[in-house]
Amino acid sequence: MTEFRRRHLLGAAMAGAALPFGGARAQGTTMTAAVYPGGWDEALRDVLAPRLREQGITVAFEPLFAVDQIAKARAARGNPPFDVFVLDPGPRVSGIDFGLFETFDPAKLSNLGQLPPGQADAQGAAVAAQVVGIAYNPTKVPKPKGWADLFKPEYVSKLGLTGFGTTFGTISLIEMAKALGGSVENMDPLFAELRRIRPSVAAVGQPAAMPGMFQQGQIDVMYTNTYTVTLLRSRGVNIDFAVPETGAAAFMTTMHIAKGSRNIDAAYKYIDAMISTPVQAALSQAPYFFVPVNKDVTPGADVPMRSISEIGNFVTHDWAKINPVRPQWIQRFNREMAG
Amino acid sequence: MTENGVWRLALPLALAQMLFFVAPLLLLAATSFATDENLRAWSLRAWRDALGDDFNIASVINTLRLGALAVLATAVFAVPLALVHMAAGPTLRRVILIAAVLPLLTSVVVRTFAWIVILGREGVINATLQGLGITSAPVPLLQTEHGLILALTQIEMPLMLLPLLAALARIDPALLDASASLGGSLFRTLRKVVLPMALPGLIAGATLVFASAATAFISQGVIGGGRLNYLPAQVWQQAMVVFDWPLAAALAITLMGSVLVVAAALSLLGAKARHA
Repeated sequence: MTEFRRRHLLGAAMAGAALPFGGARAQGTTMTAAVYPGGWDEALRDVLAPRLREQGITVAFEPLFAVDQIAKARAARGNPPFDVFVLDPGPRVSGIDFGLFETFDPAKLSNLGQLPPGQADAQGAAVAAQVVGIAYNPTKVPKPKGWADLFKPEYVSKLGLTGFGTTFGTISLIEMAKALGGSVENMDPLFAELRRIRPSVAAVGQPAAMPGMFQQGQIDVMYTNTYTVTLLRSRGVNIDFAVPETGAAAFMTTMHIAKGSRNIDAAYKYIDAMISTPVQAALSQAPYFFVPVNKDVTPGADVPMRSISEIGNFVTHDWAKINPVRPQWIQRFNREMAG
Repeated sequence: MTENGVWRLALPLALAQMLFFVAPLLLLAATSFATDENLRAWSLRAWRDALGDDFNIASVINTLRLGALAVLATAVFAVPLALVHMAAGPTLRRVILIAAVLPLLTSVVVRTFAWIVILGREGVINATLQGLGITSAPVPLLQTEHGLILALTQIEMPLMLLPLLAALARIDPALLDASASLGGSLFRTLRKVVLPMALPGLIAGATLVFASAATAFISQGVIGGGRLNYLPAQVWQQAMVVFDWPLAAALAITLMGSVLVVAAALSLLGAKARHA
């Protein structure tokens, strides 16, 4: 149990975020929303929670990574510990497979028109985009051109590798496999290269530790999203985002209503407020740097798109295909890396 | 209260332990023999996967080895310090005690991240070595086993030092005088009187450090990294990312079992040392 708690603390400590809990009000509705620890937690408390308070809804936030939300909801067996999930595509597909979501009616969102077509469905709605590519320290290494560059000697000794445990890690490794002549169906070329560079890579490890390693100069190249790049730069770190020649990858972060939730109306209002223009506009700016899903909001300077409508130009992935094979990739990554 | 009734004082804790510790443990054991987390059908598949796999066996050995090395490293530093504490006056004693407890007042997460700053390629140690001209290129420390043991030595030090200080504090100073007046040299007194009496403390400390270092999920992951293979990370990954709860349960029981065996062996040694 101690370790379980420590891991949550790890997330909180990464962003230096305090976790005060919103006090329940005597009147109105109280709902609970899961939120990623760190930057998301801070942003949603500051920007989203006040909007809902105006509607008489008090939101209690539960900081949990996506996989922890799925694990907790499954362990709760039909009595969800929170009303709303916030998930990346991999855990989203797991949630659908495990039947953890209420059927979602997009028509209940007053701001549905602000989302690009297809970004709200019977499972939930997109609330932020993530754009994934290569982050590098421009004072230490030249700008990498593409995914295959990471396997060249000048980058390997400064590279931070993370495995298939996260969405951004998984799609980055898939893109590397493709650049090396492989595909989702054939990851062998990637694993062969990983085995070759293993002894000289600067760091292999937990995704949450990578920004800290970058900041400390242990690594000068990593794969991550624009959000992390902008956040680190705002804290004085020398870091730039490189769009690989094969294109940056993008995916949607989505919200879902937990099956068995007793606050379904409040949950719809919460998601509706999340995609509204004022909230998305505030979240896209300092110090939050979200990639907005609202068509009327312009993404920040580091995001290589001028509107979410351009999302079709980015590399996307089919998680229904990835999820069944991901456990094997995780095992194989462990084994290749442990030598 | 009669002496026979004293055991009732332990009831509240015993009940709480039954409810919040033993019951979940039984559930964990049941999960490891199930086909999935719903516990509807039974199978030995998870145990075959857990123990029939060289990778997992290597992971058990690495984990136990890490615990043992952490015990050795903390003992090497803690024993001399404890002897200084024993010989010191009240002010120095207080300083040593505060210094020993201080790390406990900081979260393990903060201590772990501080070690990134110290061990990194551009960290304090490498900057010093290069500044003094001892090395020309950064020495790999972060993400190596020796770097991890170095960090764990500091992180786990209080767990070794505190039982040791307590054991040494119980030694009657008259015994040292007696040994000296019987012609025992300082070294001989240390070897024949002090260390045997300190042994129960040393063993208690070793048990705590071993259990804590072997299961130090965050330090292993952040300082050790993905190229070092330890059981706690395997348990987490199977439970939280792969969703294979039976395998996670089997690995968790393997971890707990192997740590318990070592702890039990140590406590047996401790019981012997006390009665010797």
